Amino acid sequence: MKHVRRTLQSIALVLLFGGGIASALAQGDAKRGLYLAKAGGCLACHTEEKKDSVSFAGGRALKTPFGTFYGPNITPHPEAGIGRWTEADFVRAMRQGVRPDGAHYFPAFPYTSFTRIVDNDLRDLWAFLRSLPPSARPSQKHDLHFPFGWRPLLVIWKWLFFTPGPYASNPRLTPAANRGAYLVQALGHCGECHTPRNFLGGSKQNHFLAGGKGPDGKGVPNLTPTKLKNQSDGELKDFLVTGITPDGDVPAAAMGEVIRNTTSQLTPDDLAALIAYLRSLPPLADEPR
Amino acid sequence: MKTIIAGSILVAIGLSMASIAQAQVKPETLVKQRQAAMTLQGKYFGPLGGMAQGKVPYDANVVARNAGYLEALSHMPWDGFAPSTKDVKSAALPAIFTDTAKFKEAQDRLQAEITKLVSVSRGGDEAAVKAQLGAVNKACGGCHETFREKK
Repeated sequence: MKHVRRTLQSIALVLLFGGGIASALAQGDAKRGLYLAKAGGCLACHTEEKKDSVSFAGGRALKTPFGTFYGPNITPHPEAGIGRWTEADFVRAMRQGVRPDGAHYFPAFPYTSFTRIVDNDLRDLWAFLRSLPPSARPSQKHDLHFPFGWRPLLVIWKWLFFTPGPYASNPRLTPAANRGAYLVQALGHCGECHTPRNFLGGSKQNHFLAGGKGPDGKGVPNLTPTKLKNQSDGELKDFLVTGITPDGDVPAAAMGEVIRNTTSQLTPDDLAALIAYLRSLPPLADEPR
Repeated sequence: MKTIIAGSILVAIGLSMASIAQAQVKPETLVKQRQAAMTLQGKYFGPLGGMAQGKVPYDANVVARNAGYLEALSHMPWDGFAPSTKDVKSAALPAIFTDTAKFKEAQDRLQAEITKLVSVSRGGDEAAVKAQLGAVNKACGGCHETFREKK
């Protein structure tokens, strides 16, 4: 917490007094940010599900037991998008799940995972978002069941289920598996669907990636070695690149989209790292569906 | 008039015999058969998916041949989802039997995309074929999203 505040303060100082050279140094790399945005799967929720929709201009509906959430416009449009945000606003949104006006985000925005993204990557993601063409498409209001739409409740939710802070490398894992852990836990936010939730929508961390019921109430597979041990690295890799299993089967549309937008876009090293990390997980029993 | 009545009686008898013939197939058998049709669609679609992604060398002849097979296969599973199979254990979700209109829509979508694949595979435009393979993949996944338990 303190650490974050200090980071924010130093960013603010740079913005206030840093001038040309310092801000040029602090500037993120938009090209790297594009890759990170793919690894983060930002596109799916922040783009309307129709032909000719504008990327990142918002509009995807996410149906959950708590109501329907609509991904907002995150292009740099000053009114419709996040054009008036500062980099510090963005960092706070991702790391703390807090809006620039201080209100809390619903965890449909997976800041529970994105909080683990490291500072450098956040800076690059921000640079990428700033490089997008602004779209005037207005964001929609979420349509939530009573009382879940009342944001102050999120203070309690976050206190119970949210641990902010960037990913810290795990000394028991190889460097590749650590990179994979970062891709899975932070950017890829795989656990948002593949980890079962309790009745308040909090992830059951001791069942991390054990599958069960996804956020839309439908079953999702276990990603721990209990389930994946029957598939070779090559088979997993091909599945995550082509979206087709060795026997020609095709996953449900939601995962198909993740494969198209994210896993098929990863560098071969990152994909291998992701698989190495899944292999290192403790084998957990399948969750009830 | 008489011929119409006689004709309708014959049709009615024909229909009831057809439904008797249907009813005689055990639900377990229907499930096995529809799964076989699905398995074979996987067999002939799988390699094409690899080609679409550039993982497997592109072979226009294989695409055209498999597209033809898929056109026939994509008609085969559906009568296997008879209401009698509702309680047989499989990955089929109850929505198949409750939301029949949407299920039919998903079938039609797949068949339409495969028909299109057959026609582009005759055209020799590799990029168009690859794009269409993506559309077929989405039709498969779209139906699995709603109607099949995730594996």
